[in-house]
Amino acid sequence: MHLLKSRWKIALGVIPALLVYCIFSIIPIFISFYYSFMSWNGFSPMDYVGLANFRAILSDSVFWLSVRNNLIVVAASIFGQIPIALVLALLLNRKIKGAKFFRTIAFLPVVISTVVISLTWRMIYNVEQGLLNHLLNNLGLSALAQNWLGNPDYAMYAIAAVIIWQFVGLYFIIFLSALQTVPKDILEAAELDGATEWQKTRYVTLPSIWGVIIIAVVLCISGSLKTFDLIYVMTGGGPANATEVMATYMYTETFQGLRYGYGSAISVLIFVFSITIIVFANVLLTKRSGARRA
Amino acid sequence: MQVDHQPVPRKEINESTARFKKRATRVLIYLILMVFAIVNAYPIIWMILNSFKSGQEFALNPFGLPTEWVWANYVEAWFTANINTYFFNSVFVGGVAVILTVLFGALASYFLARFQFKGQKLLYSFFILGLLVPIHATLVPMFILMQTIGLLDTRLALIFPYIAFNLSITIFLLTSFMKSFSKEIEESAIMDGAGVFKIFWSIILPMTRPVLATVIIINFINNWNEFSFALVLINDDLLSTLPLGLANFAGQHSTNYTAQMAALTIVLVPTILFYLFMEKQIVEGMTQGAVKG
Repeated sequence: MHLLKSRWKIALGVIPALLVYCIFSIIPIFISFYYSFMSWNGFSPMDYVGLANFRAILSDSVFWLSVRNNLIVVAASIFGQIPIALVLALLLNRKIKGAKFFRTIAFLPVVISTVVISLTWRMIYNVEQGLLNHLLNNLGLSALAQNWLGNPDYAMYAIAAVIIWQFVGLYFIIFLSALQTVPKDILEAAELDGATEWQKTRYVTLPSIWGVIIIAVVLCISGSLKTFDLIYVMTGGGPANATEVMATYMYTETFQGLRYGYGSAISVLIFVFSITIIVFANVLLTKRSGARRA
Repeated sequence: MQVDHQPVPRKEINESTARFKKRATRVLIYLILMVFAIVNAYPIIWMILNSFKSGQEFALNPFGLPTEWVWANYVEAWFTANINTYFFNSVFVGGVAVILTVLFGALASYFLARFQFKGQKLLYSFFILGLLVPIHATLVPMFILMQTIGLLDTRLALIFPYIAFNLSITIFLLTSFMKSFSKEIEESAIMDGAGVFKIFWSIILPMTRPVLATVIIINFINNWNEFSFALVLINDDLLSTLPLGLANFAGQHSTNYTAQMAALTIVLVPTILFYLFMEKQIVEGMTQGAVKG
């Protein structure tokens, strides 16, 4: 570390990044707060309405539907992605032929553009031509064939399944790299004591990667609150708002309903929810690791 | 490792059941992995195979190889969907954004990692804070901002937000790597009379190359796949990036499934090839970013 005398050199180095970052990432958040107190269609002069937007949101049934759908995504991610990813990581963490092949396949969906995934799955769910209904018909399960994305009762779950499919690979890789840090000597000691494979996993492996599992849960939650592209492309929030999430509702209200103030108020809530969860998780995590160190 | 030379009969039986159990577990594991691999890969393979079928064959025979490979779908997708234009736009916007992000990010990281100055820790935390900013909370102000400064519906309208939203992860990865260099590195260069920026450009930056590659890849994948900003900030079809153009094309040709699939395949195959070539770096970079982000 050096103590650099000339401040202007530091400034020269840091300012380009700082400027772009502030103008296009940080300041917009604050402007969002400002807009959320306005009534305004994007063209007309803004009208200061205080908390009226937020009050309206509280009694907006579509907004609450979108919150509920966001929670479905959260639940699907936590109870779908995490366990599947964990099991896969445990299976592939042993010496096994073809491990590299399975790892490659597992991570593939993570790098594919969400729009491509959405369009592919929209075709898989297609009523007449889709892969899923064809498969069900061929298996003699025609009774189960559905208009997956067109039926308000199923659409959200059909989407949740795609979300699980898309991100299992990410958590799998995170868990796999965590598993490689589990101390081998402890595992060997447990083996000498006659521990079964299951006991070793339950009492040694899982506790030692517990911190990473919690981080993965936090990532799941904050990622789920940001869900947008997938739903926007697959259903646009329909049918009858059945798959609306906060971000798609914000987009529709703002840019199609031309309610800029109202839309901004929804963005503020998305921001507040995300930050709350992350701060909460952070407190939880630091408490844990603090306890472990002590 | 000790080998039992003269096993007693009972032990032999035990061993053979143990061996059977072991084999059964192995079969079970492979079964689970195979099912998972099929579920993961088959949708993509299904889509690629059907992109070569005629509309009629796709309706009658949705599984299996096409009986006749119809390249017309690709011609249609490439020309009607303007895939070539979208491709160019994505490469241009993504590429320029990556270059600027890495340049600005590396320079900032260098000062944050190698020097001590007032407010340095605070500044670093401020940059990392960006990992928490949800993109969708910035869409409305970004739209208004771009409209006000007259950038709406231009390539720059995408380049700036792409830089801003990738700077956090870039600075995060580069700073932690640059911190690991030993102190003496710059000292001899300073003795030789090299300036701060000269040291950055000809010593630090080349040393950062391994992480630089990861950062570039992550940046490019993020930009290549980005949809929300493009949706809000770009209206002109000729300026659309691939995800946006593809979504619009699918909206307009929603019943021409095979052409849609051809368009998707054109976009998908380069991504898959890129992934297969760079797998190690992509996976490591993503996990580093994800775990610590």
